[in-house]
Amino acid sequence: MPDIIAGLALLLVISGIAAIYHQSWTVHAIVAVIALALAIYASATGAMLKGRIKGSSTDVFWLHRRIGVSLGAFVLGSIIYGIWIRLQHADPILSSVHGRLGLIILIGMVLQIVPSLVKKDRTAYRGLHMVLGYLLPAILVIDSAWGLHIGVLSETKYLVLAHSISGGLAALAFVWIILETMYPTEMGLGRARIASFAASLLVIAGCWIAGGYNYLTDYGSNVKPAILAGGYPWAHQILMEAKEHVFIFLPIIALSLSLTIYYLDDDRFAGDRRYRRAIAEIACMALLLVLLMFLMGAIVSKAGNTGLEA
Amino acid sequence: MREPATFLASAAFTIFTTGCTIIAHELSADLRGLLVAVTGHHWLSVSALAAALFVTSSLLLAGSESIRRTLKAEDIALWSRVLMAVTMFMTLGCLMVYTIHYISG
Repeated sequence: MPDIIAGLALLLVISGIAAIYHQSWTVHAIVAVIALALAIYASATGAMLKGRIKGSSTDVFWLHRRIGVSLGAFVLGSIIYGIWIRLQHADPILSSVHGRLGLIILIGMVLQIVPSLVKKDRTAYRGLHMVLGYLLPAILVIDSAWGLHIGVLSETKYLVLAHSISGGLAALAFVWIILETMYPTEMGLGRARIASFAASLLVIAGCWIAGGYNYLTDYGSNVKPAILAGGYPWAHQILMEAKEHVFIFLPIIALSLSLTIYYLDDDRFAGDRRYRRAIAEIACMALLLVLLMFLMGAIVSKAGNTGLEA
Repeated sequence: MREPATFLASAAFTIFTTGCTIIAHELSADLRGLLVAVTGHHWLSVSALAAALFVTSSLLLAGSESIRRTLKAEDIALWSRVLMAVTMFMTLGCLMVYTIHYISG
């Protein structure tokens, strides 16, 4: 009961913030990003409960439940916020993919939380709970990237969207690698390999090739002149110039991480802390680079949109 | 047997060389022109250079035990730190070059 009250109080606070800052999609995005961080934390504690990764806390179940309720409050709060913004603009609520994905997340959250709080015997329900628990962070990443894309560009450019969704999912894969190395188990190395292959594929195909194609075919001829003619030429001259070049480091780091994990054996992964530490450090750096690219990309897109509108 | 840490050493070498090329092509119009002439766009040439350097250095390190021993390429703690330092240094270096370029007009 105290968890439910805390969750409702949290929801009330978020709704209050939504009422005050109802024009700002940025606050809606911040609430969604907090929800994403909580979803990852909830998945990690869920994995600890099942013994997939080693837990350090003594009462993981209590932690998992509390995070789950807070996550529910943030997801619901974010959706209320989103609906509020749409109503301000007199837009149909479910006309966009972003809105429909939000509805899917909400249904998933209800299916996660309500039976967990109501049912005493959860044995039959555990399979669905686990699948939904791992799917939710991925859907949240896609929906957040989609929402950011709409918020910044006010239109949908599918190649840029695929580029940013790939980056978001790659970031999630790097977080997965960090968790597997922080809490190692027997099956951890195999899962870290899968996560590293996924990260490499997303970074190379989704970010490098798709982003590079967009940069060579659309950005240079349409967006760059608009930024240079607009009020924020530094967005291209500093941020985009740095982004397009620093970005080349990322596929190399992702690939080297994948190969390092691929050639690592179980004994060294489980028994030698130096290897796990090195992998975690490189994955953390890759994650930071992805987030930096994301931030730079959002600023450049915003400057481009402002320039095109002027 | 392939040592996992050698790929981190290859990545560190690749990022260092690519980073130096990026900074140099921003300072030298001749180098930029050369990179444009190779593939038609300087970004494509730098990307291709990075990919080629990583593959070549990985094969070289995997194939030669003496190079691995000389570079201590099997020390994962050393090379993970070197890779992090090189990446941060080159990222900041690129940002600094473009900022100076912008300020100086």
